[in-house]
Amino acid sequence: MDIKQEVVIGNQAIARGLVEAGLEIAAAYPGTPSSEILPGVVYFKNMEGLKIHTEWSSNELCAFEVAFGAAAYGDARAACFMKQVGLNVAFPALLKAREKVLEGGLVIVCCDDPGPQSSQTEQDTRLLAALFGIPVFDPASPDEAADVAYYALNWSFKNKVPVIIRSTHRVSHARQSINLYKPGERTVTLKEGVCAGQGTKLGIIASGMSYSLVHDVIEEIGAADEVSLYKVLRVYPHSEDLARFVGSMEKVLVVEETDMVIEALIGNREKVMGRGDGTVPSSGEITYDIVRDMLSVILQGQGKVKAFAPDRSIETSLADVPIVPRPPKLCPGCPHRAAFFAMQHIWPDAIYPGDIGCYTLGISQGAVDTCLDMGAGVTFAEGFYDAFYQDGKLVPILASVGDSTFLHACLAPLYDAVRNRKRFILVIMDNSTTAMTGMQPTPQTGITVDGIATHSVAIEDIVSGLGVKYLRIVDPYDVPLAISTIKDAFHYLEGDDMLPAVIITRRECLLLAKGKGKDTAYPVRLVEDCIGCKSCFNTFGCPAISFDPEAKKIGIDDSICTNCGICYYACPVQPEGKELKKFKQGRA
Amino acid sequence: MKHEIICAGIGGRGVLLASTILIEAAIKSGMKAMASDEYGMSQRGGSVVSLVKVGSYASPFIGRENGDILLAFEESEFYKTLFFLRKGGLALVNTRSATLGASIDGMLKERQIAYRLIDADGIARDADMFQSANMALLGAFASFGIEPFTRDVLETTIRSRVPEKFLAKNLAVFETGFETARRKAKG
Repeated sequence: MDIKQEVVIGNQAIARGLVEAGLEIAAAYPGTPSSEILPGVVYFKNMEGLKIHTEWSSNELCAFEVAFGAAAYGDARAACFMKQVGLNVAFPALLKAREKVLEGGLVIVCCDDPGPQSSQTEQDTRLLAALFGIPVFDPASPDEAADVAYYALNWSFKNKVPVIIRSTHRVSHARQSINLYKPGERTVTLKEGVCAGQGTKLGIIASGMSYSLVHDVIEEIGAADEVSLYKVLRVYPHSEDLARFVGSMEKVLVVEETDMVIEALIGNREKVMGRGDGTVPSSGEITYDIVRDMLSVILQGQGKVKAFAPDRSIETSLADVPIVPRPPKLCPGCPHRAAFFAMQHIWPDAIYPGDIGCYTLGISQGAVDTCLDMGAGVTFAEGFYDAFYQDGKLVPILASVGDSTFLHACLAPLYDAVRNRKRFILVIMDNSTTAMTGMQPTPQTGITVDGIATHSVAIEDIVSGLGVKYLRIVDPYDVPLAISTIKDAFHYLEGDDMLPAVIITRRECLLLAKGKGKDTAYPVRLVEDCIGCKSCFNTFGCPAISFDPEAKKIGIDDSICTNCGICYYACPVQPEGKELKKFKQGRA
Repeated sequence: MKHEIICAGIGGRGVLLASTILIEAAIKSGMKAMASDEYGMSQRGGSVVSLVKVGSYASPFIGRENGDILLAFEESEFYKTLFFLRKGGLALVNTRSATLGASIDGMLKERQIAYRLIDADGIARDADMFQSANMALLGAFASFGIEPFTRDVLETTIRSRVPEKFLAKNLAVFETGFETARRKAKG
């Protein structure tokens, strides 16, 4: 039989497995590293000409309840997708839902972020699943993720209980060629048990990508005769066979991300090494080097094991080489940068509650002070306001939140601010998309995940509807207007209304605009006129701007500069920068 | 046959497209291949590393001093990822410089690492295709003829991956990269 193959990332593989298993309804809220699963479902349903309802929900609780409703009270095969902290949002419903006998089938795909790389916390979905008795699978590669997704949806449908697939960013974002079977024709054999080695002194138990890493390290250092590697795929409830394996080994090492789950389920403190006794680092991602160092120490001198010793001459030779640090920054031309620049310009010492999204990076411009969870930008602002107001002070508080996050988590907080008479400035940074997670449309875009036009919701209507009276919409590229509007908003707070002020900074995400061929194009003359003051370099934080210490001049990387020209406002010799300075001195 | 390849560069400059072409080229040639990408939160201008493993591996990750080939699409990112290269590995670096610093050069010689400096940005700029430096470096890599990454296989893969509109110019840049590296090898 001629089977089609395609190179996909893990998230697309999960989508493929679900589509082949007869998925009928899928809902999700985007969040790295889970965002590509729902678009993957759309891609494969179109490829196969299948009718599957797919939707972006406003948050994870909505996504979960839509899928759960369809599976519990209809007879649908349903799924919902989210990142690990998204499961917290869906948690109230999950706890009750786990006890319900389904009419259909329900798979919750939850992508964890060991590290974390793109989240506020590490969090192990397997731990929650085991704690509350929900079956959970932990696939070790994109290929296996497709199989597991197929298996899990069928298993849930048959057994009438919800099932969780836990992925991690290393599985979700790995790329591999997978087989594309016709819907219903995949045969899955779950790969569990001893998968490598034949030693009895040390048994290694691993799941997910940690298993794949250990597998490759055992091969590299030649430890196959010394250890046995046991792969766990269904973490809860785990196989009875696991206990027999533990019993047959002298010592056992558990390698898993991110918390102690399998290790805790085994529970044998005498025999088991892992996170509990400090053999495995207590937090952070498990890397190839961590696994290799760990096994090199444990197995040193045994059999044919070649313990790894690093050659430090590499670092020595690099000691004097100037290396450009590239910390995370907003993209060149990003409208958020212009908005933060304006916010920071008037009150460098204001309180800046921030939120979760690209714009958390405003921290590098000194215009974001806090980042807790989605929605906390607004509620923190309320708390800060109260703390100062109790002492009789009204200080500038400038909260920032993106458009997608506003709709996800800020409606109730903003209404609370209105009814409890809180005074702060909320800047809603509206770039018409969910940029950080890959340009998913937001409720106000008026486009579904299928790319079809739908009803849109205007943020300004919501803000007014919640009772806010001071509402301005500005183009963040118009820096002088943004600055004067912020000042005006603060004057409003000093008045009698006792309400928050809202400014919407509206400009399309540059990645989106570029995709539509809408380039701004006039040459940036920053370099020619440069006096070497580094003002733009220090306050603007644009990846396209570098500083050459020898020439004492800034440089612009033409390949990534978008010619937005906002950096002129940060330059004391350009007319724009001069005007801004005059404006600040004259009106401040 | 096994290869561990590191593609390093900055966001928005085609590092991920280059690594996609490498895994697809390997798969086209009947091999197993897997990739893992690491990119920061910024989509453009941040560090990007894509690891490619060809052969019977379970994971797409490369340990320190295990990499066979390092394709550095930017000089600073070359230094940041140099620790990946094994003794006797190969490095291709996109840089305008004609030489590397004495300490680096000495270390690379000591570790028997062959390296080639290619002005891939210059090649791409000359063709009026600034964003296509990745193709110039892939062309230079093709000149080494390491199976399965021969000129033919890579060219075919580029044809299947790059949109028609940009294909001819991308192939021209690939070709110039190939010739430039070959001339350097002879010279």
